[in-house]
Amino acid sequence: MSRREIVAWVGGQILPHEADVRSWLRRGGSSAEDVDDIVQEAYCRLAALGGVAHIANGRAYFFQTARNIMLERIRRSRVVRIDCVTEIDALNIVDSEPSPERIVASRRELARVQELIEGLPERCRDIFKLRRVHGMPQRDIARLLGVSENVVEMQTMRGLRLILRALTQAREDGRGDRVHEEEPVRKRDR
Amino acid sequence: MRKSQSASEIDDEATAWAVRAEAAEGDPAREAELAAWLAGDPRRQGALLRAQAALSFLDRGRALAGADGPRVAAAARRRVTRRAMLAGGGLAVAAGAAGVAILSPERRRYDTGLGEIRRVPLGDGSLVAINTRSALDVAMGQASRRVELRAGEAWFEVAKDPRRPFVVATGPVRVRAVGTAFSVRREGEDADVLVTEGVVETWVAGASGARTRVAAGSKIVVGPGRPAVSVEAPEAIERILSWRTGQIALDGESLADAAREFNRYNARQILIDDPGLAQARFVGLFRTNDPDSFASAVALTMGARVTREPGYIRLGRGA
Repeated sequence: MSRREIVAWVGGQILPHEADVRSWLRRGGSSAEDVDDIVQEAYCRLAALGGVAHIANGRAYFFQTARNIMLERIRRSRVVRIDCVTEIDALNIVDSEPSPERIVASRRELARVQELIEGLPERCRDIFKLRRVHGMPQRDIARLLGVSENVVEMQTMRGLRLILRALTQAREDGRGDRVHEEEPVRKRDR
Repeated sequence: MRKSQSASEIDDEATAWAVRAEAAEGDPAREAELAAWLAGDPRRQGALLRAQAALSFLDRGRALAGADGPRVAAAARRRVTRRAMLAGGGLAVAAGAAGVAILSPERRRYDTGLGEIRRVPLGDGSLVAINTRSALDVAMGQASRRVELRAGEAWFEVAKDPRRPFVVATGPVRVRAVGTAFSVRREGEDADVLVTEGVVETWVAGASGARTRVAAGSKIVVGPGRPAVSVEAPEAIERILSWRTGQIALDGESLADAAREFNRYNARQILIDDPGLAQARFVGLFRTNDPDSFASAVALTMGARVTREPGYIRLGRGA
């Protein structure tokens, strides 16, 4: 399996679920920094794979990998940040999501990516669109816009960084917190 | 060395390299630069993969743009339903109503069932949190406030009232407070007393000997025929008292002790079949009413085998 194929597979089967994995880790009580580290380590392990043909379900694999890394960190540090472990049952539900919905969900993400491209700062957006949507070479864009190739490159990097950040940010919808608020024990307080 | 750069800093650099690598494919100088960057930190391989995956993902976006609306909406609705179910599952709790019996105008009896944790205001501004399977009588008099802990465990947050001392009696043990917070757990004739605020005085009824003062952040085991020695353990106290929010916090307790703790709250008892496993130490934060999650966590982190039977969860050595 070529590197290009692995990259394409990660782009289609792993990356769209990163926001969910991050939310899940956050709900489990991992700090923002821990979440960053765990997710990065998960990609490292994917990068070390020779192929991905054996992975039937990218989403489940991503969750599984993140969970393993989290548990290894807990075991190493022995810090009481193991709240995540109590979410294991919830994780199993996440994993068993029917695949048609996953496809629809990832399409929804794609529609969101379009929105994100549209939402980029103007110059960045134009360059990003020419480069990514129309597949124009960097040199041609530079000539077309009368700027240096370096500017095109910088704006493309900036666009990618902004989009990647928006795409993978943990959703702060307070899902986990709400569960805690509704905890009967606390409900009875006072 | 590993921590010289944060994960998000590496991610930012990786997006730059992903773009650069694409533009400079086949340029040996740039490929060498990239290789050098990658060699600088093992985490960079992962970050680069992620950034390149994003580029690839964006390319797919071209083909898939304009996803059909109704199906997306239907999927969103299904998601919401599943979310509600998920939350509901986490909330399934045996919440039997606690018994309250009015014994006399000033005297009340409170009982909690298995797994039940209850907070009760005592009318004088004090608050009591009553743990699983406990029973206590509260008598609010003109000259004194008396609580008898007949069984189990309770934590008291006592409103200041110098004219009416607040005394908890459990078996022969007495604990007296003025304005303070503390817990008492009855263990036969002995009692564990944990002080979270202020100072309490403890003694054994009918025994000679001085009263022992216990300050905030300390715990003491009081009982007939044992020397009362208070131990400072401020961080342990909050952990031990996590039952007040329906949690069990373990910090290196043996699995045998952890199982005993869960078994105080649940009809489904945890049994540990392997003596070695029973002595293994464990760290974690769990719900008192969720022994299953605990068992799953032990299975995961220690490679234990879990057998679920009606009324029991057995933990044994993995195959």
